[in-house]
Amino acid sequence: MKNYKNILVGMLCLVLVFIAGCSTTQNSSEKQEEKEKKVNMIFSFKAANLDPHTGFIPIRAGLTETLLKLDDKSNIEGWLAEKWETADNEKWVFEIRDDVKFQDGKKLDAESVKQSLERSIEANESLGDSLKIKSMEADGQLLTIHTTEPYPALPSELVNPYTSIVNMEAAKKDGEEAFKNNPIGTGPFKVKEFKSNQFVEVEKNKDYWAGEPKLDSAKIKFNEDANVRALALQSKEADVVYNLPAESLDTIEKDNKLRVESIPGLRAHFILYNSQSKNVKDLKVRQALDLLIDRKSVVNDIMLGHGLEANGPFNSTLPFGLDEEVSELNVEKAKSLLTQAGYKENAGGLMEKDGKPLTLELVTYKARPELPLIAQLLQSDAGKAGIKIDIKTVENADTHLVENKDWDLATYSNNTSPRGDGSYFFNTAFTETGALNVGMINIPELNTLIEKLNRTTDLDERTKLTQDASKVINKEVAHSYAVYPNIIIGMNKRIVNWEPTAEEYYILTHNMDVK
Amino acid sequence: MLTIIKNRVTQLVVVLFILSLFTFTLMKMAPGDPVLTILNADEMVVTEEDQAELRKKLGFDQPLYIQYGKWMFNLVQLDLGKSYMSGKPVTEELLTRIPITAELTFFAMTIMLCITVPLGVWSAKYVNKWPDQFSRILALIGASIPNFWLGLILIYLFAFKLGVLPSSGIGSYSQIILPAFTLGFTFAVVYARLLRAGLLQSLSEDYIYAARARGVKEWRILWLHAFRAAVLPVLTIFGLSLGSFLGGAVVVEILFSWPGLGSLAVDAIFNRDYPVIQGYVLLTGVFVVLTNLLVDLSYYVIDPRMKRKEEAL
Repeated sequence: MKNYKNILVGMLCLVLVFIAGCSTTQNSSEKQEEKEKKVNMIFSFKAANLDPHTGFIPIRAGLTETLLKLDDKSNIEGWLAEKWETADNEKWVFEIRDDVKFQDGKKLDAESVKQSLERSIEANESLGDSLKIKSMEADGQLLTIHTTEPYPALPSELVNPYTSIVNMEAAKKDGEEAFKNNPIGTGPFKVKEFKSNQFVEVEKNKDYWAGEPKLDSAKIKFNEDANVRALALQSKEADVVYNLPAESLDTIEKDNKLRVESIPGLRAHFILYNSQSKNVKDLKVRQALDLLIDRKSVVNDIMLGHGLEANGPFNSTLPFGLDEEVSELNVEKAKSLLTQAGYKENAGGLMEKDGKPLTLELVTYKARPELPLIAQLLQSDAGKAGIKIDIKTVENADTHLVENKDWDLATYSNNTSPRGDGSYFFNTAFTETGALNVGMINIPELNTLIEKLNRTTDLDERTKLTQDASKVINKEVAHSYAVYPNIIIGMNKRIVNWEPTAEEYYILTHNMDVK
Repeated sequence: MLTIIKNRVTQLVVVLFILSLFTFTLMKMAPGDPVLTILNADEMVVTEEDQAELRKKLGFDQPLYIQYGKWMFNLVQLDLGKSYMSGKPVTEELLTRIPITAELTFFAMTIMLCITVPLGVWSAKYVNKWPDQFSRILALIGASIPNFWLGLILIYLFAFKLGVLPSSGIGSYSQIILPAFTLGFTFAVVYARLLRAGLLQSLSEDYIYAARARGVKEWRILWLHAFRAAVLPVLTIFGLSLGSFLGGAVVVEILFSWPGLGSLAVDAIFNRDYPVIQGYVLLTGVFVVLTNLLVDLSYYVIDPRMKRKEEAL
C-alpha cells in the first residue's frame, strides 16, 4: 500500500514542480519587461499572416500606413500623402510626404507608392473594383492616378487598410514568405516576432517620421473568446482588450486599475424589408413596423447602454449622419397606419385584411447575439399592434435571404461607413447590382441620388447628398435602423495618451504611452 | 498480424471514401458559400457580377457530381486543393497545424494518464470506501461539465485569481498546462472508473488468487498481473473515443487560442472553406482508423492470449 502512496505523492510533486518552474520563468520575464515600456493587447480576430493587402493587423499594429486616413471625427485627412487634388474626378494627383522613410531606411517616393498599390490590387480580389485605377504615373513625390471613370470616392477608398504602403523592392528581394511575416512599412513599429494565428510582437521604429514612438515594444495576441479576453484584462496580463462581453463590464469597472471605453462604432443593426413580399410592400405597413421598434429598450436592455438609438444608416455622431429625431415606440400610431393600409382588428385582436391576419416571417441569425433579441422585442411590440411575427433563425442569413423569397423582414447588421464615406453602403445595399441588396430594394429617387453622389467630389456636397439619400431611405422605410452598437474596449489605466477610435484601424500609435 | 494490417488498410480506404462522399454532400447541402467572405462584402463594394464571376472561378456553377469527381481526381494524386481563404495548399495548412495539436494532445494525454492510473488503482484498492466515492464524484463532474466551462474556470482560478499561469497563447510550457489539463481531465476521470472496473474484475480472477497463494507480493499482483488485463477495455474505449478527444480539442483550442487543427476546422466551417473542411475530415478519419488499428495491435503485446487465439485459427 505504501507503494501507491509513494507513487501518488511523487506524481503530485512532479506536477507542482512543473507549475512552479513555469510560473517562475513567467515572473522573471515580467521583471525584465518592467524596464522597457511595453504594452500587451488581445485582439478578437486572428491573423494567419501579416500581408497588409489582405488583412488589417499590420495597420492596427502600427506597422503600415495608408496615403489618407480618418481623423477622430471620421473626416478624411492626409497621412502619407500631404495633399491631393483632382480637376475632373478622373485624374488625381497625390503629393507624397517628403520626410518619410520605410523601416529599412529607404525613402518613400511616388514610385514606391505606385508599386505598393499595384501589389495590393493584384493580391486582393475586390480591391481593384473599389479603387477603379486605370493607370498610375510616378514623378518624384507626385503620384498621378487615372481612374477608369469619374470617381470621387477614390480618397475614401485610399483610407482602406488594404491599400497600406509597403516597400515592394524589399519584398521582392526577401521573397514572398518574408514579406508575409515581416512587411516593411512606414509605421511607428516594426515586426520583432510573428507567429501565425498566435501573436505579433513589435518594436519601435526609432526613425518614425512623425516622431519617436513612446513605447519600446508591444505584443498583440489573438483570442476569439470574449470571456478569456475579459479575464486576461482583469489579471493584468493584457493592457488593452477589444470587444468585451457586456456582462463582464461591471466587474472590470469596479477594478480601480482598469477602465472601460465604450465608443460609437460605424456599424448599424437594422431591420431589412423584402420589397418583393406582398405584406411589407405597402409603405404604411413598413411605417407601422418602424414605429414598433422600441429603440430605447434596444439600447438600454439589449445593448446594456452600449449603443446609440439609430435615426438613419449612419451613426448620427458622424459628419454625414442625420440629426433628425429618433422615432419612438408608438403602438397606437402604428395601428392607425395599418388601418389606413386597409387592415381591421379582428376578434382575436389581430389586424386582418380580406379575412387574412397580418402574419410576417422575420429572419434572424445568431452570429451577432443582439439580433435575435431585437427580433424578439419587435415580435412582442408588434403583437400589441395586432401583427403576428414568426421568427425564423437561420445560420447564414445572406444565403437564406437570397435563396428564399417567402420572408418579409430580417434583422441585419452592416458596417455602414467603414471609410468615412456613405457611398460604400449605398452602392452595396441599395443599388440593383449591389451584393448586399438582398431585399431587392429599388427606389428611383434613391438611385438618382446615389448616382449623383458617385459623381460628386466636393465634400460638403457629398455630405448633403449622403444625408438626402438617408432621408429618402427613411421616408420610404427601405430599412428600419434600430441601433448603432458601441465598440467596447477594456484598458489598463497605465495606458496614457491614447483613445480608441471608431474605425478600429489605428490602434497602436506612436503617441501611446504607459505610466 | 499482417492479415490484420492488410484488412485494416482496405477498411481505411472504404471508410475514407464514404466519409468524403458524405461530408462533401452535406457541406454542399448546407446553406452559404465562401464567395461573400472571400470578397469581403462587409467592407468592400461588391456587385452580383463579382459574386457570379468568383462562383464560376471556384467551379460552384457545375453539378455536384462533377465538383466531387474533380476533387476525387485530385485527391488520388494526393492533391487536397487550395484553401479559399489563405490560398495555401490544404496539405500545407494541415501539416503546419498537426504538430501544434499533437503537442497539446500529447500533454493532455500525459495529464490524463497521471490522473487515470493512480485514481483508478486507488479506487479499486479501496472499493466503496472514501477514495472510491471521491473518484466517483470526480467522474460525475468530468462527464457532465463541458470542456469550455472547465477551461474558463481554470483560467479564472490560475490566471486571474492566482496569477500563476497565462490565460491563453502558445509558446511556453506554462501555456500548455491549462489547455492540456482542460482536455485531459474530463477523459481522465471517466477512464479512471473504467480502469477501476477492469481491475476489480481481474483481481477476482482465479490466477490472482493463485498468485496470492504462491506468495507473490501484493504490488506485483496489482501492477503486473491485474493491471495488464484491466488496461485492455480502457484502451478499447480510448481508441473509440479518440474522435471525441479531437472534438474536445476544437473547443479547447478556440478558448486558449491554440492554433491547431481544431481552430483551423472551425474557421474553415465558418468560412465555408470546403477544401480545408474536406482535408480535415479525411485526416481525422485516417487518424481514428489508424489509432484503432494501433489499439488492436497493442492487444497482442499486452495480452499474449490473443496471439495464441490467432495462431489457433
